[in-house]
Amino acid sequence: MIETTRYEARQRVRGTLAFAVLLGAFALLIIYLYPTIAESSADIDALIESLPESFREGFGAETYTTIEGFVAAELYQTVWVLLLGLYMAYAGGGLLAGDVESGRLYLVLATPVSRKRVAFEKFLSLGLPIVVLNVSMPLVVFGGTVAIDYPLDPAYLLVVLLVCSGIGLALSTILDRGDAAQRAGLALVFLLFLLDSVTIGTDVEWLGAVSPTRYLDPTEILLHETIDLVDPLLLSIVAIVIVLGSLGHFQHRDL
Amino acid sequence: MAVIEVEGLTKAYGDTLANEDLDFSIEAGEIFGYLGPNGAGKSTTIRQLMGFQTPTAGTARIFGNDVRNDRALRGAKARIGFLPGEPAFTPSVTGREFLDYQAELKGDERRDELLGLFTPPLDRRIREYSTGNKQMLAIVQAFMHDPDLLVMDEPTSGLDPLKQEAFHDFLRGERDHGTTVFFSSHILGEVRRVCDRVGIIRDGRLITVEIVEELLARGGKQVRLHTETPLTEAALDIDGVVGFASEGREAQFTFTGDYDALFAALADYRIVDIEIDEPPIEEVFMHFYGGDAE
Repeated sequence: MIETTRYEARQRVRGTLAFAVLLGAFALLIIYLYPTIAESSADIDALIESLPESFREGFGAETYTTIEGFVAAELYQTVWVLLLGLYMAYAGGGLLAGDVESGRLYLVLATPVSRKRVAFEKFLSLGLPIVVLNVSMPLVVFGGTVAIDYPLDPAYLLVVLLVCSGIGLALSTILDRGDAAQRAGLALVFLLFLLDSVTIGTDVEWLGAVSPTRYLDPTEILLHETIDLVDPLLLSIVAIVIVLGSLGHFQHRDL
Repeated sequence: MAVIEVEGLTKAYGDTLANEDLDFSIEAGEIFGYLGPNGAGKSTTIRQLMGFQTPTAGTARIFGNDVRNDRALRGAKARIGFLPGEPAFTPSVTGREFLDYQAELKGDERRDELLGLFTPPLDRRIREYSTGNKQMLAIVQAFMHDPDLLVMDEPTSGLDPLKQEAFHDFLRGERDHGTTVFFSSHILGEVRRVCDRVGIIRDGRLITVEIVEELLARGGKQVRLHTETPLTEAALDIDGVVGFASEGREAQFTFTGDYDALFAALADYRIVDIEIDEPPIEEVFMHFYGGDAE
């Protein structure tokens, strides 16, 4: 039934594991650093207070003196949301454009499967890195800190990553060159993240509303333990619209 | 009923007409060669037949299914084997993994039989494959679900001469079992040896569709001679010498006549070197269809 997803996902196994190991190691390093920072005499919170608001918001730095605040700022806001978002956009960009450019897709589309199906199954194969990374990270973090509560609802982050993957997929169906789609995906997600960060607290704060990262605030969830259900729902809808639009476009374009 | 019917097929890329008002049909059980120089529009036709690109005007039908109708064409694809020009694969998978994937998509009743004839190194990653090995892998996938129709873009490119011959033999065998074959080539000799009929395309236009024997009579060979004493056109007074040119003791012409007559005429000369070769396709166009091949 899902031949293409299985075929594609198999090719993602190694990269996903390597990425999970690297991120895990980085998470452990951050957690290992925490006691030294917590016990340091310098008033780090005062330092953070003195930073511009957009900077604080962008990197989610609210407080470094609790493990939740520290982990939220160092790990989740930057590494997880931004890095994984970039990774998913990059992977999404590589889904189709490269195969179209090289002609690899011809051999698949010559079989009795529809274009939409091939494209969608390829998109589904991104589920492997999304699931593996989102399951392994909390486990590593939890294993590294006995003190921390269950950190973040993975379903929440999932939708942000789906949007980023969708952006990649959309670019991949529009652009003809694989590397162009991947780079455009990286650039777009990073720009959206910046747009979200720098507009916070300014008159044009609404501009940042186009960024998926605006709707995910690990600091809020970790530190204040509040979860809002409207935002993830909204993001899911955006992801679905982007994916459907991409599939529709891909169905009719010349290859 | 014709297996492939092409009706007024036209494809424009901006101002360039890659295919212009093509009309031809291919009957069940024949090998149809689609001959033309590089850039003539052969691949464009094939991509439209496979539904990868939409015609600007006109259309084509495969097994009666309009190629513009994705759903209808998809049904027909189970009966089509396809071999693209310069086939490309995911470099990180092995040949076997690729064939397993293709088998899941369309079946592989004949895989083992084909792997007896064409021998890509299945357990190596495709990134290590030579051009010839990639071509063999592509040939295996094209035939492995035992299709009724083969659509192939330059199928022998990259194969060594022995494998080319094996492929031609195999193709004739398939035809004798009722399989229909449509393939493009820019090599006249290949089309001559294998095809029943040939369509010749140049600058996106179909110049002629001929039975191969007729083309054979017109095609000719390119002859290059190095004689001890200079050879003149007047001395070579036999039928079938076209485009004679000489420079000192080197002479060159296209020959469409009888070999015995040629060798009888040359008997008075001491021949240092002789080359008889397929003419480049551009030559054929120049001599038999007028105008220059560019």
